[in-house]
Amino acid sequence: MTSLSGDLRFGGEVTQRGYDLWADTVNDEKGGIEVGGETYEVEVEYADAQSSPSTGADAASEMIEDGADAILGPYSSNVTLAVCPIMEQNSMPHITGSAESPQIWQEGFEYSFGTIPTVSIIGNEATSALLNLEPQPDSVYVTAVNEPFSVATGESMRDAAEEAGVTVENYEEFPRDADYTNVVSAAQDVDPDLHLHGGHIGSHVDLISASEQLGYNPDGFLMHYGVNTGSYKDGADDQAPYTFGATVWIPSVDRSGGVLFDSPQAYADASESEYDTAPDYTQAGSTAAGIVFQEAFKELGSAPPLSQDDKDELIGILEEIDVNTFYGDVAFETEGEYYHNNINTQTLLIQLGEDGSPAIVGPEDAATDEANYPVPAWDER
Amino acid sequence: MVDIGLFTQIVINGLLLGGIYITIGVGFSLAFGVLEVVDFAVGEYVMVGAFMGAVLAPVFGAEGIFVIPIVLVVFFLAGSLIQPLIHHVTTGDRPHPLLMGLVFTFGLATFLRGSVLTIFGPNNQDVPSSLLTGGVTVPGVGTFPVVRTVTAVFGVTGLLVFMYYLYRTRGGMAIRAIAEDRTNARLMGININRYQSIAYGAYAALTGSAGVFIGMIFTANPGMGLQYTAFAFFMVVLAGMGYLPGVILAGIVLGLTQSFTAVYISGNLVLLVLFAIIYVVLLVSPAGILGKGEWAT
Repeated sequence: MTSLSGDLRFGGEVTQRGYDLWADTVNDEKGGIEVGGETYEVEVEYADAQSSPSTGADAASEMIEDGADAILGPYSSNVTLAVCPIMEQNSMPHITGSAESPQIWQEGFEYSFGTIPTVSIIGNEATSALLNLEPQPDSVYVTAVNEPFSVATGESMRDAAEEAGVTVENYEEFPRDADYTNVVSAAQDVDPDLHLHGGHIGSHVDLISASEQLGYNPDGFLMHYGVNTGSYKDGADDQAPYTFGATVWIPSVDRSGGVLFDSPQAYADASESEYDTAPDYTQAGSTAAGIVFQEAFKELGSAPPLSQDDKDELIGILEEIDVNTFYGDVAFETEGEYYHNNINTQTLLIQLGEDGSPAIVGPEDAATDEANYPVPAWDER
Repeated sequence: MVDIGLFTQIVINGLLLGGIYITIGVGFSLAFGVLEVVDFAVGEYVMVGAFMGAVLAPVFGAEGIFVIPIVLVVFFLAGSLIQPLIHHVTTGDRPHPLLMGLVFTFGLATFLRGSVLTIFGPNNQDVPSSLLTGGVTVPGVGTFPVVRTVTAVFGVTGLLVFMYYLYRTRGGMAIRAIAEDRTNARLMGININRYQSIAYGAYAALTGSAGVFIGMIFTANPGMGLQYTAFAFFMVVLAGMGYLPGVILAGIVLGLTQSFTAVYISGNLVLLVLFAIIYVVLLVSPAGILGKGEWAT
């Protein structure tokens, strides 16, 4: 399930590419999933959540009534929070490759799993990596769009700054349709060293545009989610370079391959070849979700359609699983606030270069390039 | 203690934000005042204008402002062609003409949004401009973002041009006569279809051009229209339905309220405060802040 229409269609299409690339590759290269000596071709059927939590919940119920064996998706935390209780009520195994709100895992859903680490980890670790750059910043200004994912992102950034002993000049939430000159003017008035922002791509573009228009020049902007997506680069255009972002995967990351794809770059090449577009971590996480199901089905050894006992056994297998993939090692937490979330994948601090391509600039043990920091002022670019 | 520097900057931000709203509100108010059409497609005209800017600007040296004359002409022609269709569904023996106009323009809005989404995809698109970048800082006052300042000037100029046309030319007199009494205007020999097409074409041209400016300020996105439709409604309610001069005051009130609420109260409460103002105006002065519009019924 994903959002194939509505405001979240962009992200929905990203996840769809991820799931499709997994299904196509496993079918092309292995003829499908081998279960008990026989190979079964993977069929992915889509339900459109239409970017709406309630529609997503209805779509999940319909998929279950139609006899789904397992469910991938949906896209976005809002929709996932509405879909997980439906999975729970129907004891349906479910892995999402694209939901980051910590609230999902704090609820303790027994039948839902996620391959992408929660944003409270991604935002926190990316901020910590940025705060370690030289010259070390003394103050930050934190903003977030008022919706669950973005607020969780902003709060994790704020918490990371406070943990590092850096002054948080202000933490401000505002609606998506707010005018960003006011956000920028308030920030500009306190002149922070860094501006940290939680939101989706449109809000990043508005914030960076207003900053350029008002000549607001902190030493760097860290924004999450999606600064390395085409949508951000197209929208921000000349203003996109030097923006810092957070991710858990990019094609150039140094990780060994595993099931299906030999390396992150091999996966990126396959995506380029199939869709003529570079994958981001949401697409990679979605493909990894498919791979995890693939390995769990193999271990289960029961032919489809799955009985309820099979599905319950599958949950046990998922709790124990440890799969090496191009995306990284995937294993799910079995207790605590990250229950059933894969938190093993390392967070990367990235920065867009002048051509808009991302480079890994932190943390120190993962960096492949040096950060351009402090970033040039607007009139020096 | 109020920081004077921040205070003046917030005033500037609010006034220039009001300028953006004025560029949208002028045409919308004209369409309602003259044609009695509540046009649900206004935001989508803004969106299509922004996409025209994104597509055509690279052809004109990556300069969005050079696209404006083309957008004015294209939208004027498109508006002139659309208006007879609106006229067709809102006249004759059809019941509830206002509702019919709303339904027609709602369908048009859905069609435009879906078409752009299908053609260009959901990504944000930049409307480039190398002339209208950065801001001009006036010491002791604040920074005036160039693109927003030009947009506000464009909106106010558009309003003044419309008002001159309406109140100082024979064509404007004909349009006002139509707005006053369509039947009597026809009896006086006024070609109603022609002047209504001119009025709707002018509204579409101004709104589409506003879209190019808004694309330069923010970005072009298929989902951006609804927000501007909502603000256009806010504008006409505050200005007084169909009362053009009130649009300036409405834009300033909306812009300043949004800016001061965001900075001095809470960014989260901006829309709540705006809606509260709209409700109060509807309750206390249904003919707008100045009391000179038609009654909102």
